[in-house]
Amino acid sequence: MPEETADVVIVGAGAAGAAFAWSLAETRMKIVCLEQGGWMNPAEYPSSRADWELRGFGDFGLSPNARGRPEDYPINDAESPIAISNFNAVGGSTILYAAHFPRFHPSDFRAHTLDGVGDDWPIQYETLEPYYDENARMMGVAGLAGDPAYPPKQVPLPPVPLGKLGETLGRGFNRLGWHWWPSDSAIATVEHAGRAPCVNLGPCLTGCAQGAKGSTDVTYWPEAVRRGVELRTHCRVREITVGENDMADGVIYYDAEGVERRQKAEVVVIACNGVGTPRLLLNSRTAHFPEGIANRSGLVGRNLMFHPYAMVQGVFDEALDGYKGPMGCCIMSQEFYETDPGRDFVRGYSFEITRGMGPVGAAISGMSSGSVPWGPDHHRSYADLFNRTTGMVVICEDLPEPQNRVSLDPELTDSNGIPAPKIHYRLSENSERMLEHGVARGREVLEAAGARETSAQAPLPFAGWHLMGTARMGSDPSRSVVNEWGRSHDVRNLFIIDGSIFVTAGAVNPTNTIQALALFIADQIKQRLDSLFD
Amino acid sequence: MAADTASSEISETQMRLFAGVLDAIIPPGEGGAHPGAGEIGLGEILLQKVPELTPVLVQGLAVLREELENRQVADFAALAEDEKHALLEQVGVREPGFLPGLLFHTYANYYQQPRVLEALGLEARPPYPRGYELEAGDLNLLDPVRKRPRLYRRC
Ligand SMILES: Cc1cc2nc3c(=O)[nH]c(=O)nc-3n(C[C@H](O)[C@H](O)[C@H](O)COP(=O)(O)OP(=O)(O)OC[C@H]3O[C@@H](n4cnc5c(N)ncnc54)[C@H](O)[C@@H]3O)c2cc1C
Ligand code: SF4
Repeated sequence: MPEETADVVIVGAGAAGAAFAWSLAETRMKIVCLEQGGWMNPAEYPSSRADWELRGFGDFGLSPNARGRPEDYPINDAESPIAISNFNAVGGSTILYAAHFPRFHPSDFRAHTLDGVGDDWPIQYETLEPYYDENARMMGVAGLAGDPAYPPKQVPLPPVPLGKLGETLGRGFNRLGWHWWPSDSAIATVEHAGRAPCVNLGPCLTGCAQGAKGSTDVTYWPEAVRRGVELRTHCRVREITVGENDMADGVIYYDAEGVERRQKAEVVVIACNGVGTPRLLLNSRTAHFPEGIANRSGLVGRNLMFHPYAMVQGVFDEALDGYKGPMGCCIMSQEFYETDPGRDFVRGYSFEITRGMGPVGAAISGMSSGSVPWGPDHHRSYADLFNRTTGMVVICEDLPEPQNRVSLDPELTDSNGIPAPKIHYRLSENSERMLEHGVARGREVLEAAGARETSAQAPLPFAGWHLMGTARMGSDPSRSVVNEWGRSHDVRNLFIIDGSIFVTAGAVNPTNTIQALALFIADQIKQRLDSLFD
Repeated sequence: MAADTASSEISETQMRLFAGVLDAIIPPGEGGAHPGAGEIGLGEILLQKVPELTPVLVQGLAVLREELENRQVADFAALAEDEKHALLEQVGVREPGFLPGLLFHTYANYYQQPRVLEALGLEARPPYPRGYELEAGDLNLLDPVRKRPRLYRRC
């Protein structure tokens, strides 16, 4: 049976796809979203079982290669010091994310003008401001107004509890005179839009059984579906097809039974994240686009940015209750965010205070580091660490470099035989210096807070969870893949709306900005319906 | 059932030896505050939950038995803790796959057991659905930060 032509087909139902679909749905256009994963069942999330921590190494692991769920696709990241971390389902990687939800700074859109590195964005903080506000309402952002690190902003819900741990570290920052503030968090701290409030379970990184964490399967998607968007799950898109005049005319995908199907559409929107999107574009080759669709600039896949992470931990004498509360959301510091010419690196980083580990996590991490040995000393060493260890991650701004990129692996394929992505990445000297600075300052603050010993790891090898830059936006078609409002320079009815279009990476978690951009692009489309393809 | 098949590959004598090994990895705490890993029957649990451990375990236990015979030791459990440690390290040298997997699964499963969690002063339950109470904390601690001038760059 021939499929009906959709007005809009969206590929990917994660953070960006969800926000975009919800916004565009008010036009009453026929919108179809194709997602390779399925709906998650929160009742099956690990936190309701005794082995909840272990499943974070198994079917809720960070790496798709190790996790190997049927909806996952392999990623060759063997040559990268930072491995890719994602999730493939309705909600995308927000199923696993920590929901730490800061905004970019105004200066993040002006890195070239201010600091002579990267490029300026073709839009500014003010362009996204109303969309940050809209996203805060839809995702349910908790936080505290008045942060001097940001222009005034709306924060609809009260902040996540500091707990003993947040207070202890807050005092440490105060002793050094450094900035800190309760983290903006996409976590319903009180009942919000039908979502039950957070009950401080802890393991947000294996899915929130309570439904308090703002993953898009519980925020945007129910509303978008109610507004008439058709969300087709277990549909993996192989390629975007192009018809006459270099216009996209739809996509080819495999359905849940592995049957090849075609979805025709007037507008094609890609939201597969900073690795999945370039993979799809590079896999879509035609005579007119021998290097992949929308890739006349040669920049598809290039300028891959992560945020290189370090983890700095301290051991305290007193119990800190670190296994309670949203594990990635407590307080943050942006003391070292903006460029300071007195430092040996350009741009900056954030500290995100993480809480502590549960009993199994503490044991395994103590075993790996050698601080909890087996044998007679076991219990004493474990008691020294468990519930007494906390710390932070250092989130460094990565600079765009063309040699850091996503290409197609010549051999590796997914279960449908579609070529898999390959990651080429090396840490820049600037990032290395920034990591070193962040680790040293992290130790200082932990010591100021009372830590009796500290340890650090940099870069964190599993922290490739912020995926940006691989189809950057800009006004010059030779130096960017999409224009100022997300439309491909080469294919005028093809839009890209995820972190791929970031020009620079900022030094904060990107999802709030990804979604604000997706909402902005949806509004641009609504406003330009009469001249969309001109 | 996989678990039954797995445990049936291990004799009762081997199971006793295995329990001794587990107690050497995580021994009972002083004054009985914390149970030993063998004492709480972690051996049965591991064989059931991690059947892929069985072959390397059988192999490792056989090497341990040999080492005990060489040293004319009849009862592994009766050795002093540091002697047990040295012997298991020796088995690890001869059978490199033995210790890493066994240690990981012992740590990972021991700290899920209700008796162990209670001994740590925790409630023996998964986090969901009851969750935890957590104090909001004193936001007055932010007063010095509130007094600071703007930290972001205008552009
Ligand atoms: C462990 C972890 C912790 C994180 N913590 C934070 C945090 O605290 N704060 C923060 O801001 N960010 C965090 N992130 C990152 C955040 O999850 C991502 O930035 C965000 O989800 C990206 O949104 P997206 O829509 O671009 O992609 P995703 O959310 O990854 O969604 C992409 C979707 O596209 C689908 N897809 C891909 N290819 C195809 C195809 N060919 N056909 C059909 N469907 C396809 C995928 O299945 C997936 O569902 C974290 C991520 C992880 C993994
Ligand atoms: S801590 Fe809160 S947000 Fe995190 S999993 Fe628990 S209930 Fe959900």
